[in-house]
Amino acid sequence: MRYTDFTPFDLVLLAQGLGVTIGLFLATTLIGLVIGAVWGIVRFYRVPGLTQLITFVSEILKNSPVLVQLFLVFFGFPAFFHINVTPVTAAIITLSANTAAFVYVIAVSAIESIGRDQIEAARVFGLRRWQVLRHVITPQAAAFSIGPLTALLVNQLQVTSLISVIGVMDLAKIGANLNLRTLQPFVVWTVVGILYYLAAKLVAMLGTRLEKRLRAHSAFRGL
Amino acid sequence: MRIDLSILIPYAGFLAQGALLTAEVCVLAIVGSVILGMLVAIARTSQLSWVRWLAFAYVDLFRNIPFLVQLFFFYYGLPEIGMYIDAFTTGVVALSISGGAYASDAIRAGILAIDNGIIEAAEVSGLPRRVIFSRIVLPIALRTSVRPLGSVLINMILTSSILSTITLNELTGNARIVASETFRPFEIYVVLLVVYAALTYLVSLGITVLHRRLNRDLQEQVS
Repeated sequence: MRYTDFTPFDLVLLAQGLGVTIGLFLATTLIGLVIGAVWGIVRFYRVPGLTQLITFVSEILKNSPVLVQLFLVFFGFPAFFHINVTPVTAAIITLSANTAAFVYVIAVSAIESIGRDQIEAARVFGLRRWQVLRHVITPQAAAFSIGPLTALLVNQLQVTSLISVIGVMDLAKIGANLNLRTLQPFVVWTVVGILYYLAAKLVAMLGTRLEKRLRAHSAFRGL
Repeated sequence: MRIDLSILIPYAGFLAQGALLTAEVCVLAIVGSVILGMLVAIARTSQLSWVRWLAFAYVDLFRNIPFLVQLFFFYYGLPEIGMYIDAFTTGVVALSISGGAYASDAIRAGILAIDNGIIEAAEVSGLPRRVIFSRIVLPIALRTSVRPLGSVLINMILTSSILSTITLNELTGNARIVASETFRPFEIYVVLLVVYAALTYLVSLGITVLHRRLNRDLQEQVS
């Protein structure tokens, strides 16, 4: 007796997989945003040594496959540091670091997009460096970077599918399991693909909405 | 806790074989995606609205679905409809189709950037539409989009690591074998990160040179 038919429970499995994917995506995005922004601020303060190190690390992370980074953390860290790394931990470490590397680049270009004259004017008014950062740079940099960030996050959502390779039960892994059981690859992968597509569209939509709101003050109002 | 790279020396040739296979896959796939991207870019700038819509649907779909899912769709799905092709061909086809979506965007931007005056001049000279497109519009669009196409290629090199999940033993696939033979995953994956980063860096250097050379007549206007 073989259970090759689809059952209603498969829907629950798919929903679980989608939940794991979105949960890990949100968590790693949040961590990545914070780390990337901190790296950007370190660069803004021109900390000697640290800035070069961060640039180097971010270049390596950007220019190597996420799959290899994932293997390094999941297989390499336990062997080298003699620590226990679960698939979920490895996924969170890798995806956060990867997101941070890209966020760093966006943060740097966002900070550089603000004219030096604005910063000088703010300094002349007697604002401290962190006040300049807080009141002059951050609001404008946030509005500037929301577009590239949305594109990045749509991409990162797809990158999360790679964690299925090291055994995290995300949407892609559920798809692989269903595929093995039902032997109907077209149906299974189409459904999984549609779910990823919808999730990506949702991220893109939220990004556009946020961008509109952040840019509201600088939008052309008409004469 | 000591990095000992000397254990990898006996496997250097084996890894080089994998790198060669990666290069083969990427070269074939970039040719495939530029051809596909060209056709889709033509469709996207077509005057028929349904052709435009169809091309847009293709680009939107393949950019928003993870490559892993696309790959499994082809790898497990094609035998289902009686097409028995090996992992290498599947990998090249999947990379070409997903790369084609990105390449079409680059080429489309190149087409849209062409000065109307050039097309008008060609029309006045009495050239038929087909000749205008194939001899004037496409060459200009392709050479101005060398740099964006280069980043598609770089992305493709990184994405090709995912092909190791469908049993294709390219660079990452071979590295996995070495890691399980030597029990030194940390060293091998660190080396792999650096190798990939160096590879993409070299490719980006080459693209910059090619871009300069193809667009050398425009250089004077810029500088």
